[in-house]
Amino acid sequence: MSKHTTTVTVGGTASKNARKLTVASNRQSFFKRMMSQKMLIAMSLPFVLWLIIFRYIPVVGWLMAFQDYKPQNGFFGNEWVGLKHFRDLFNEPTFFRALENTIGMGVLGLVFTTLAAITFALLLNEMRFLKFKKLTQTISYLPHFVSWVIVANIVTTMLSIEGPINGLLTSIGILDDPINFMAKPGMFWGIVTSAEVWKSTGWNAIIYFAAMAGIDPQLYEAAKVDGASRLRQMWHITLPSIRSVIIVLLILSIGNLINIGFEKQMLLGNNIVMDKAIVIDLYALNYGIGMFRYSFGTAIGIFKSVVSVILILIANGFAKKIGEGRVF
Amino acid sequence: MKKHLSVLFMLMLVGLLTLAACGDDSSDGGSDNDNTDNSSEDNGSDEPVTLTFFSSDGAEKTFDDPVAKKITEATGVYLEMDYPVGGNDEAIPLMIAGGEYPDLIFAKGDLGKLIDAGGVIKLDDMIEERGDNLKALYGDQIDRLRNSVDDPSIYQVGTYGVENQPLETSGTFQIQLEVLRELGYPEIDTLEDFEAALSEYHDMYPEINGQSTIPLSLQGSDWRWLITVGNPAGFAGGFPDDGQWVIDNDTGEATYKFVLDEFRTYFKWLNGMNAKGLLDPESFTQTQETYISKLSTGRVLSVADQDWNIGDARSALIQDGMENRTFAPLPVVLDESKTHQALKDYGFAGGWGIAISSTSEHQEEAFDFLDWMASEEAQILVNWGVEGEHYEVVDGERVMFDEVREKLETDANYSKESGVGYYIYPFPQWGTAAVDSNGQSITRDNKEQVIEGQLAPEKDALAAYGMELWIDWFPAQDELEISNHGAAANFSIPSGSDLQIIQQRADDITEQRITEAILADPAEFDGLWDNMLQELEDAGVEQLNQEMTELTQSVRELWGTN
Repeated sequence: MSKHTTTVTVGGTASKNARKLTVASNRQSFFKRMMSQKMLIAMSLPFVLWLIIFRYIPVVGWLMAFQDYKPQNGFFGNEWVGLKHFRDLFNEPTFFRALENTIGMGVLGLVFTTLAAITFALLLNEMRFLKFKKLTQTISYLPHFVSWVIVANIVTTMLSIEGPINGLLTSIGILDDPINFMAKPGMFWGIVTSAEVWKSTGWNAIIYFAAMAGIDPQLYEAAKVDGASRLRQMWHITLPSIRSVIIVLLILSIGNLINIGFEKQMLLGNNIVMDKAIVIDLYALNYGIGMFRYSFGTAIGIFKSVVSVILILIANGFAKKIGEGRVF
Repeated sequence: MKKHLSVLFMLMLVGLLTLAACGDDSSDGGSDNDNTDNSSEDNGSDEPVTLTFFSSDGAEKTFDDPVAKKITEATGVYLEMDYPVGGNDEAIPLMIAGGEYPDLIFAKGDLGKLIDAGGVIKLDDMIEERGDNLKALYGDQIDRLRNSVDDPSIYQVGTYGVENQPLETSGTFQIQLEVLRELGYPEIDTLEDFEAALSEYHDMYPEINGQSTIPLSLQGSDWRWLITVGNPAGFAGGFPDDGQWVIDNDTGEATYKFVLDEFRTYFKWLNGMNAKGLLDPESFTQTQETYISKLSTGRVLSVADQDWNIGDARSALIQDGMENRTFAPLPVVLDESKTHQALKDYGFAGGWGIAISSTSEHQEEAFDFLDWMASEEAQILVNWGVEGEHYEVVDGERVMFDEVREKLETDANYSKESGVGYYIYPFPQWGTAAVDSNGQSITRDNKEQVIEGQLAPEKDALAAYGMELWIDWFPAQDELEISNHGAAANFSIPSGSDLQIIQQRADDITEQRITEAILADPAEFDGLWDNMLQELEDAGVEQLNQEMTELTQSVRELWGTN
């Protein structure tokens, strides 16, 4: 209580005092609320600490981007070089190609994996034969556990000149001569996206499927009484009911658009398609840490974080506008 | 309520304390172990010292084969071998970032990074005081181990033999023995002859063992682009192997090799090969596994590759009774004016080698181990194996057991399982011309051994050409100059320097654009090549040449060969 009184007496004019008083009473209620929730706060404390230690303190490392960092000099023993590494980065034509490829493959991957997962969940949801449904679901998410190294080998073998896909296409007469798919830069994004869809559809569908399970069956019964076909029920009941789930998941993944990793591109790519296959992380690996340029690598990391934040804000603002489950 | 809360806090506190205590425990335990290790050595007990050894070219293996056991017996050292997972070249930077080093490190071109980071120690004093075997091994070539003009200390003991006399070549074009036989052992000296031979045989046998014949296959989908696409071009142009460089031996002037006309000519020829259907269309997309399995079917008529890269295919061919489908090296050049440099004497290469880490607690043991590896006893052991188990001495001469030799020839894993020959590279190593105190060759690859190891179809071919060894086909070593700078691939290039960054950029450009040009319509080749030259110029290839020239000249200064 003594604290509040001191703030009041320090104030100058009457109006100011009045405002201080409201602030003080606000503060009082804030403390009151805090005390009433002390159990909850105590329980969340370890997680907040975790967040601070593992997510916020490492951000101090960003300082590296403004130094010529060499590990043997320790953290503060390096020369400060200002924005040199960012200038280097933005003067590098390969970087912009990598950015374009990253966003291109990121958007394609996001759109097609989401569409495929929703469609798959819808179809599965309509299935009436329970055992078959469970089996399909299990089999469909198995590829999620297969490593990209193996997936890449499967894909290159399937698509090689003497592989089964070329064999099939030539034998039914669609192609006269086999195509070397892996040597066509124009097809690279498509191949990566298809592989990703194959790998992730079943897994991603689980969450949509769970959301569909929570829809009130009365809605369907009412629709049936009104004479809605199954397609109509899907369109007017199932999809609108999981709309907020779809949008929240989309916002979360849009933030990660630029973090698509490099495994797929590195494993599936080759010199012929490199123009379409180089992505930011691969670039950071080859020209950053691979050359021992920690500072340059950090600059790339900062750039990526900034892009991610902007993307999330845009997506969230969009969700706010259409009045749907936004993230914050 | 209040009571509950304090109980909760107590619990949390206890939890935190337990965690902290655990942390302490583990570190205490660690140092305890180290202490016992040290004391056991001090007592001179038989317990071997375990040294961790990271090799950039290593593979998964434990140190328990017969040869390894002998090494442990002689030196009291047990090696725990580590290797980069999945051919990853970030291993050394990550090691530096973590600040934890194995006792012994074979870092190849990344040694400079370790020196910058203070991760390895200077060996000069130790060599002077107790490195008698190493001194005997390197002799007057010891300057070649030095780091740089600015810091002329020795940080590593070098890989690759000292005093070499090549008996085999590697990395040039290689053609199936069967093709040579079928065509009546023709003279094949130029690209033209080579192409004619391939296309003639291809027309005669469009299928081999029921599968379509592939006249020439390359492996240009990963880093092997450098050894199957880039380097053969240099050999054909009559240049020695200096990685991505052509270096003038008189002036030390370095040029990024792909801007030279010889390379345009070579790749234009390769483009023609592709257009005529003589080049495997999967050359730039296939994985190494696909490539090796293709070669193992015997339907690939020729390759341009290093022997060590296709060893598995050779073993498979011999095992399947297709000895006639194994490969013979060809001294093919662009035209008669060029001289093939396959037998070039680079001198002792220096550059790469094994270093001892600054954090190692066993630096002296590690050094003594390396010194012992350079001794005559050790060199005979690692080359020949264990006496009575792998070889015997007949009339004072070492003779390998037939069974062992056959396994070494046909079983790709034998060397790894038995240890015979496994510990030669990357340790200090006597060269092929070195002899032991009885005047016998230390390495297994002496002339007699090579001749004995030749396959029957190989002997036929050699007899038809009137040669003893394949190297007789190539211009002899003494016709070629000795390199004044060793080999450029072994230079240590400062990490993060312009030289490194621009070269990476230039390499990225050439690997992509040359691949594109090879696969393009022949009419478009020149245009694509000119575009590439322009791109290289924009990327700063002139600055690159200048800096590499400076580096070469400083190496020559350091070695006293300027």
